[in-house]
Amino acid sequence: MRAEQKSGSLMAGPYAAFLLVFAVYPIAFALVLVFLQWDLVTVPTFAGANNIRLLLHDGRFWRAVANTFVFLSIHVPLQIVTALALALALNRQLAGRSFWRAAFFLPVVISGAVVAILWSHLYATDVGLINRLLVKIGLSPVPWLTDPRTAMPAIAVMVTWKNVGFYVIIYLAGLQYIPRSCQEAIEIEGASAWQRFRYLTLPSLLPQTILVVTLSTINGFQLFIEPYVMTGGGPLRRTYSVVLYLYNNAFAYQKMGYAATIGVALALIIGIVVFAQRRLIGRAEAL
Amino acid sequence: MPSVTFEHVRKRFGDSTVVEDFDLVVADGELLVLVGGSGSGKSTILRMVAGLEEVTSGTIRIDQRDVTALPPRERDVAMVFQDYGLYPHMTVRENLSLGLRLRKIPRQEIDRRVTWAAGMLGLASLLDRKPKQLSGGQRQRVAMGRAMVREPKVFLFDEPLSNLDAGLRAQMRIEIGGLQRRLKTTTIYVTHDQVEAMTLGDRIVVLADGRIQQIGRPIDLYRAPVNRFVAGFIGTPPMNFVEGTLRENNGQAVFITEGLSIGVPREKTLTANPTQSLTLGIRPEDLRVESSAAQSVDDGSSAGVLRGRVVLVERLGGTSHVHFDVAGGGSRMMASVSNDRLPIVGETIVVRVPPERVHLFGADGRAIGRTAEIV
Repeated sequence: MRAEQKSGSLMAGPYAAFLLVFAVYPIAFALVLVFLQWDLVTVPTFAGANNIRLLLHDGRFWRAVANTFVFLSIHVPLQIVTALALALALNRQLAGRSFWRAAFFLPVVISGAVVAILWSHLYATDVGLINRLLVKIGLSPVPWLTDPRTAMPAIAVMVTWKNVGFYVIIYLAGLQYIPRSCQEAIEIEGASAWQRFRYLTLPSLLPQTILVVTLSTINGFQLFIEPYVMTGGGPLRRTYSVVLYLYNNAFAYQKMGYAATIGVALALIIGIVVFAQRRLIGRAEAL
Repeated sequence: MPSVTFEHVRKRFGDSTVVEDFDLVVADGELLVLVGGSGSGKSTILRMVAGLEEVTSGTIRIDQRDVTALPPRERDVAMVFQDYGLYPHMTVRENLSLGLRLRKIPRQEIDRRVTWAAGMLGLASLLDRKPKQLSGGQRQRVAMGRAMVREPKVFLFDEPLSNLDAGLRAQMRIEIGGLQRRLKTTTIYVTHDQVEAMTLGDRIVVLADGRIQQIGRPIDLYRAPVNRFVAGFIGTPPMNFVEGTLRENNGQAVFITEGLSIGVPREKTLTANPTQSLTLGIRPEDLRVESSAAQSVDDGSSAGVLRGRVVLVERLGGTSHVHFDVAGGGSRMMASVSNDRLPIVGETIVVRVPPERVHLFGADGRAIGRTAEIV
């Protein structure tokens, strides 16, 4: 028993150390920083609840929170629909299935900054591929990233494209878990293709859908690279995300205490939103 | 009348033929059992009726209507699957009613049928449960109820009892049989278990390698198997087989093998070629273990008596299986005997082989002397 404990501790040790240094310590440090004022250079001073008070009345912060919700309201539904549709298509017997699966997964492993630069070119108002196609079919070009109304939706579409392969895999696994006899039973019982989807496929994929909603929400709240690279938070701060605001406070304005406060607040908001989502979905399931 | 007709149905997967020239009429209200080992094509035939597999060539008719090219939902059949195929996210009630809801049956009628089926199957108190909250037997009943409420032209059962334990299997077997007799719905039932086939079927079709071996009432298959495969497949415990030759002796046909010679009735050797090598088959329950070896045995050329040394006695309760090696031979046989006077292992026994109970098979496996009775 003692020997087992010893080897267990040895094996868990490296990861425990990693966790301690890169997760537990930063979290604890952030919690301490909330009550400090620190510019990274001089000695930190105690600030009491100043950072918290500031945050509650900081219009820019709440603007960023609202922006993030706008992003989520487009990104999460779009992510579910596109991932599910692609998974259904890739689950069929089609030629070159492995190629298509790999092709849709590829953007997941490409660096976010690279994708952002690539899509900046696609979205470019005058020379971008998308606008050139629009012009070709007789429409007027859209200033995707410079119009306050389209900038955040444009970023949401891009992020959805980048991540879709990951969620497709989750849905594909779920699809393969539906027993063949259930699919055949519902077919014999008289269901059309749409009814099979409505009464069997979709409800069977509820666990996967919960996962997709949760993960894409958590990821969405951490939106940073795309606005940082593509818009810098503009136009009119419409793509200013919470994490971008946090980053600027920390490394542009050197307000480490305030940045930490934003970080802790973001974690709380994510926790509340995900909890609420699970409750809602759980209630829908019980119906 | 909702009968099912197969006309020269063939099924190929790539290069291999799974079902060859399947030709059969299932009568209205009949319970027909397709029985065979794995790879015999029995499930494929069932799935072709359901529309889950395409027919390579030939025609399938349900109620005279050609359904060969119709999708499953237009065939008006209901199927019970080996793993039940219940919808895991739905309650028992929803599982039972989905097929009716999809077909836009009025709600009152749905309620009536669900109540009727639930009552008949003892599911009334389980209607609000989900499948994972049910036992195997209860799930099986829900699957049957789901087929019943549809009131289809044909029931298709695909090894429905294979996932149940032995006791439950026997019980559900009785329930399925009783239910089918009451509903009088034409039924095709697939199983690999010949006991299920024997007890349930109005008629049995024995399949091997995608071909029909024999079609008949259970008792006919048991009494008069047309070939060695059917003889070995139908009946538990399985038939004993001994290789030997047929000789003519004073005008009588005599089957001779090491340790045994037995006169065979004329009518059983009609088509046999003298001196041809043959297989003799005798069911364990037809062997008579006469006595211990002390008794003298008439070693006449056609006595139908053999000596054996007991190697194993399996006690089953009511009867016992006595396994023995034929003296002077080497072939192992088994006799099913009552428990009155059980021999012990190592003992030499005298076993009488009643000539009228003997089956003879030619080198090609076909039963000899029975050609007139074959399908």
